[in-house]
Amino acid sequence: MNRFRLAAATAALMLVSGALWAQTSSVNGRVTNAQGGAISAADVTLRVLLPPGTPVVARMANMPGMPSAERTTQTRADGSFSFEQVPAGQYVLFVDYSGFERSSQEIAVTAQPRTMAIVLQPLELSGQPVAALTGGGAVDTQLLIEQIKTLEQRISDLEAGTVLSEPETRVRRVAVYTDQNGNEFDEPVPGARQTYTYRRERVYRRQALGEKLEEALADNDAKKITVGVSAASVTQFARQTKGQRADANDHAYQLSSADLFFSAGLAQYTSFFADVVGLSGTPPDAEIQGLTLINAYTARLVRQNEVNVREAWLRTELFSQRLALVAGRLDLTNFFDRNAFANDETSQFISDALVNNPALGLATNGSGLAGIYDPKGGFAFKAGFQQSNSEATNLSQSLYTLGEIDYVARPPGLSEGNYRVWARNDNSTERNRSAFGASLDQKVSPFFGLFGRYGNAEAESGRDKFYSAGFQVHNAMVVSPTDYWGIGYSQITLGAGDRERMAEGYYNFEISEKLRLSLHLQHAFETPAGSPSVGFLVPAIRLQATF
Amino acid sequence: MMAARRMLLAGVVGIAAVAASVDLRLGAAPVKVADPTSVVMIVNRDSNDIAFMDIKTKTIVGKTFLGNNVNPHMVMMSPDGRYVVTGGTRANKAYIIDARTLELVKVIPTDIAPEHLAFSPDSRWYYQGNPDGDSISVIDMVSLTKIKTIPGLVEPLNVTFLPDGSKAYIGNYGAHWVGVVDVRRHELLKKIQIAEVPGVARLDPEKYLGEIKGINIAQITNDGRFLYAADGDLGVVSKIDPREDKVIKVIRVGRDPWRIYLNHDGNYAITPNNGEETISIIDLRTDKVAATLEAGPNMTGVNFAAGKAFVISSTSGFVYVYDMKTLRPAGRMKIGSNIQLETATTDTADEKLYLADSTENAVVIIDAKTQQFEKVLNVGLFPWGTHIMDSKDNYCH
Repeated sequence: MNRFRLAAATAALMLVSGALWAQTSSVNGRVTNAQGGAISAADVTLRVLLPPGTPVVARMANMPGMPSAERTTQTRADGSFSFEQVPAGQYVLFVDYSGFERSSQEIAVTAQPRTMAIVLQPLELSGQPVAALTGGGAVDTQLLIEQIKTLEQRISDLEAGTVLSEPETRVRRVAVYTDQNGNEFDEPVPGARQTYTYRRERVYRRQALGEKLEEALADNDAKKITVGVSAASVTQFARQTKGQRADANDHAYQLSSADLFFSAGLAQYTSFFADVVGLSGTPPDAEIQGLTLINAYTARLVRQNEVNVREAWLRTELFSQRLALVAGRLDLTNFFDRNAFANDETSQFISDALVNNPALGLATNGSGLAGIYDPKGGFAFKAGFQQSNSEATNLSQSLYTLGEIDYVARPPGLSEGNYRVWARNDNSTERNRSAFGASLDQKVSPFFGLFGRYGNAEAESGRDKFYSAGFQVHNAMVVSPTDYWGIGYSQITLGAGDRERMAEGYYNFEISEKLRLSLHLQHAFETPAGSPSVGFLVPAIRLQATF
Repeated sequence: MMAARRMLLAGVVGIAAVAASVDLRLGAAPVKVADPTSVVMIVNRDSNDIAFMDIKTKTIVGKTFLGNNVNPHMVMMSPDGRYVVTGGTRANKAYIIDARTLELVKVIPTDIAPEHLAFSPDSRWYYQGNPDGDSISVIDMVSLTKIKTIPGLVEPLNVTFLPDGSKAYIGNYGAHWVGVVDVRRHELLKKIQIAEVPGVARLDPEKYLGEIKGINIAQITNDGRFLYAADGDLGVVSKIDPREDKVIKVIRVGRDPWRIYLNHDGNYAITPNNGEETISIIDLRTDKVAATLEAGPNMTGVNFAAGKAFVISSTSGFVYVYDMKTLRPAGRMKIGSNIQLETATTDTADEKLYLADSTENAVVIIDAKTQQFEKVLNVGLFPWGTHIMDSKDNYCH
């Protein structure tokens, strides 16, 4: 491509030059400073100005075959210069002299000789002395006085400006070399070894007051404990649709929840996190005895109107931050089976069966450790353990272990999807009970994503089996662009024969970045072993604030 | 105070005069860069200079000092390879450097806080964006003078010329429209609204009335037929047909897209979505989001090389890598700890990236194929960006 451009430009140049070669003339002139003093030995260059539309070619001075598009000469002692036999055409004439600005102008050369008078202006830089005050001769006193006046005015303008002009100081970690005597060198020297030190550095960065304040505030914020709040209010109503009349029929329920999150940086790549939660209210799960929770917030309800520590852990990152370790009181399942479309009761489905996998089988939070190895290459590996029985007197007899492999895939014709398989073991019931499962979320289009889960767990009798599936829609058939909605279905069948089927649809409105309102409609069918089904239709409204 | 200043200035001038009387006939400046494509230009914000690093030897072959407190922002070479220019953000001036001798040849006053810039394809016009002045300074590269200031823009961040040089498109970061400039007259012709602000915006004054994160750049496709512009607040990319200067498609991407970057083969584009730490990969053949993938915080740039995309996460010290054939993650490179990465340029062979590592005063050279890197230290203080002539990834932030 460059060769083509070069050839085209060369051809154009030769055409222009050739056509006009018959008419030649001269370009003469004199170069002076502002006071009229002659400037000798200035470089004067005459360059062909190509017609508009001519392909541009980078000037590569040493490239063979490049036509001479420039002629350069130097001014004589009296400041004069001349170019002879200049073909008619458009040119750029520019003059350079050290300490002065370049003078550059377009000129038209015709059959008549051109005579130019060029006046160079001094080039002034802050922080450097003005070098070009003479035209190569004696100092001009009047010019000096004018220059001083100009500079004084500029200093005055600068001081009246709104930006800070004081030097900026910052500290950097730098590599230095120290010898056996403790002498420090910036460059490697024989006998010295490389160490690191912290060094202050002064720089000239002029900053606006606003920028300075912004930096100071950000620096201050980074040292603080960060507090976040997630508050929700869920109102539900149960209408029985099938089976023998139950107490829950036509009852309304309301549950309010507030989580306070605290986080702070402790050391390099090490942070602390705590989640303190308080719940109050009456969830439908107190009256509707299902295999899973109709309101997933209920899982957080330890005691009414009390504040409880849900999680408190330290996280550190090792091996170029590929491996993250989290230790403390935690909800191990938070780190596993993180389905993109069905994972969060605060923003997606409200049914526990549609945001969790019951086969994971961990009902309480406890002390534990999670390790996540994620080199960000598509595969991630996770493993962890946690105390699964808060009444246990030792970890050995209440040990819940879990492992997972994650993979980011892009099946042919589809967008990205996340696929996971996991396996766990729990010995808290005096015997090992294992389970395994899989989970996927796959975008089918930019607007439409599918999810699915499967779980198979060892139970008292037989095996419990669970599956769920559904979809989420973003940016299509919505009131506001950031709204989304979804529909899901789940079914769990216990080894003992009990069965639950649950369907839910929701629509989530974004009122603001911090406030969302969602409408839900659930339909649950509970079928105890050997008994007829009981069905409930549960409309709900959820208000969720996060800030 | 005034007297002290006068004495100081007189002293400075006196020294200069003495020096001048000794020898002011310095003659022609030596040629330091014979081939303009052979160097990486590095704009050093705190040492107030432009450094020129030879690509082959990885050594600094020259530096051009611009003056104290200039704070140059973006550097660019003219398409004809004659000049290197930069805007001094805190000096409110444009600086013109001879690309061969690396001599500063002209300083031209602009409007307030000049940052990003562009050349017309024929190298004649240098458009300097002045985000705080809400204007573009038009500099004639023949006369080396500012011939016009185009007012009426809103925090103009980037300028994109059509290949025929007839029109320029201005990304207004303080608004939700792209400005169309007639390059013949250097006048604002039209405002193209990228997308409508949603009605729910009235309920979220903190976001929509606090600060506008609008359009960084209108990026032109390789064939010059369309432009794509991302809007931060609206979370969309709009496709503009320059024949009619109207939006013909709106594509929703992630939260707070910083800007759009086009892959070199012209098939895909990427928006780094800083509001949710993801990237959206747009298939330009269908104008649909082909993938949304996890990325890092504070993303400042995207470069393409060796069939991969390299996404710079400024404050984390990571560069995230994606395979542009499979559109899947391909790892991340840890450049350092407690550092701040800025922006990068890609060489013309699409093999290496030159990434400005400001807090280490270094340029990081990344081999795109092997994903290994080396650091060239002491390139200047606080390198803010890099530039290679004819690179397809010359940008700033």
